[in-house]
Amino acid sequence: MMRPGRPLLCLVASVVVLVLAGVLASPPPVRSQSDIFVNVLATGAKKLNIVIPNFAVVAGSDTGGLGRSLPQVTARDLTFSALFSVVSDVPPIPTADPAAVRATFANFASAGAHAGLQGLISLRGDRIEVEMRLYDLTSPEFRLIATKKIELPANQPRRLSHKIADEVVMQFTGEAGIADTKIAYVNTGGGAKELSLMDYDGAGPTHVTSNKSINLSPMWSPDTRSLAFTSYMRGYPYLYRMFPFENRPVQVVAGFLGINSSPAFSPDGRFLAMTLSRDGNPEVYVLNLATGAFRRLTSYSGIDTEPTWSPTGREIAFVSERAGGAHVFVMDAEGANVRRLTQAGFNTQPRWSPKGDTIVFTSRQGNFDLWAVSPDGSNLRRLTAGPGNNEGASWAPNGRHLVFQSSRSGGYQLFTMLADGSEQQAIPRTPGESTSAAWSPRLP
Amino acid sequence: MAQRRRSALLFAVPVLALSLFLVGCPKRPATTAASAPPPTGSPTPSAAAPSTTPSPSMTPSPAAPSTAATTPPAPSEFRATDNLKDVFFDFDKYDIRPTDAKTLDTNAAWLKSNDNLVLVEGHCDERGTNEYNLALGERRAKAAMNYLVAQGVQASRITIISYGKERPTCTEHSESCWAQNRRAHFLVKAR
Repeated sequence: MMRPGRPLLCLVASVVVLVLAGVLASPPPVRSQSDIFVNVLATGAKKLNIVIPNFAVVAGSDTGGLGRSLPQVTARDLTFSALFSVVSDVPPIPTADPAAVRATFANFASAGAHAGLQGLISLRGDRIEVEMRLYDLTSPEFRLIATKKIELPANQPRRLSHKIADEVVMQFTGEAGIADTKIAYVNTGGGAKELSLMDYDGAGPTHVTSNKSINLSPMWSPDTRSLAFTSYMRGYPYLYRMFPFENRPVQVVAGFLGINSSPAFSPDGRFLAMTLSRDGNPEVYVLNLATGAFRRLTSYSGIDTEPTWSPTGREIAFVSERAGGAHVFVMDAEGANVRRLTQAGFNTQPRWSPKGDTIVFTSRQGNFDLWAVSPDGSNLRRLTAGPGNNEGASWAPNGRHLVFQSSRSGGYQLFTMLADGSEQQAIPRTPGESTSAAWSPRLP
Repeated sequence: MAQRRRSALLFAVPVLALSLFLVGCPKRPATTAASAPPPTGSPTPSAAAPSTTPSPSMTPSPAAPSTAATTPPAPSEFRATDNLKDVFFDFDKYDIRPTDAKTLDTNAAWLKSNDNLVLVEGHCDERGTNEYNLALGERRAKAAMNYLVAQGVQASRITIISYGKERPTCTEHSESCWAQNRRAHFLVKAR
């Protein structure tokens, strides 16, 4: 039986023992889905080496080169996750001969791979199916960790790759990845400020409004079916809701005198927080989407705006100038128990992490940069330090990644980074400026 | 994803550390994830899905409030006039500065002798968020409106609109340019 060579075994053993030392030194493990890979990844110190050979076509004719392109997209997704170090674009794993399979895995393992991803493509008419098989290359028998079949229409090959990547992340961390998501944003490429959508990695940028007006502040509903946004399409800044994947008309959500702006869906999708000035100055309101009833949460004579919900739906962070300047405050979802969160600078655009433990915001202390703070006001830290302005962060559904806008390369473009500010990278640019990014929840 | 047993971890941790040096990595039963979920029904977002623009027609949602009975004329129906001068604001401020109060006095005097409807636009410079600047522009337009009303212009003649940072008159990234953009602008429409 093939076994990893002694050098590799020592390498793996030392990594694992180091990790276990950390686990044993910390409080007793209580995670229900832990395994050795979770522990490796949770330390943040070590990426998992995964090899993703080109996929084998087992049915149909691969005229589009999917055997090579599908795993490459998956490889980029896993690299982006910052959990994996990926080797890809190598010949497919043989499908029939068990001895050849083992020999291939042994080669990968001896090269340092901890895991291997095999893909078997079946092309049937207008459908693509991939059977993914995930192997533990640190186990002597190259244990099969999981196998899963994913099928999608043939015109959505990238989405298929994203789903495979998200399943790999699920297998190693207990939570699905975020590759099968979209980013809504505002783009000036057509002259006006139009709402746009693209895949999380920048693929397929498409305008979803074409009213030649000013469209602002897209925000996803939790079911990922709709976007709330402010638009001047009727002259005044009203709040609308659109369904970008459905043939449904745009709805007017709030069309009061004054501003109707800064929408934020509650985590359960039943309420929409927003800013209205119908009572004389900008205040935060919550709309019950089922009944149409508005409830005013704030009452200060100056500006209250930019609500963002905690993932429990029990609290709302918002921006107010009630303490002078602009600062982030937190109140409960009924508007009571207001407490101040930021002390220095000019602070706007709070966005509560979907994990609940962090609120990211934009602070002006010279230039604009992104900062983060815990909901209790502790652990204030700076995430970006130029160049240019870095603003308008939006969380990925895993709470690990952020998308934001930066003027570091001239006009505003969208960038991503990890929640600690590391791994900053540009999303491939599209014509015009891109701002106001909103990372979608995972697609259904 | 296959169910993982907590007990397996608790057992595996001490055993694993030892076993790595003795016999290599521990065995665990191969797990098989659930098969792919059935295709989701409509809606099915996809890379290609948003390729068509939604119908421009709009219908009120069940939750849509009725706009106030006194729906103002569309902003496009108002016209600029040389008789009404802009007033300007400090960064993140919406109080009327003394020199600008004189401008507003002149504007108010003209409005009292010319019975037009008035649209007061509130504007901001490019710095800061769209949302905060919408609110700030609203406060600037409101401050200018309140001053005009205090000078005897009927409030019912005046509509305000905030453009936030969305419609700058000057597009350079400099304080001299920003100062021109932090403004209240006045337009009129015949009754």
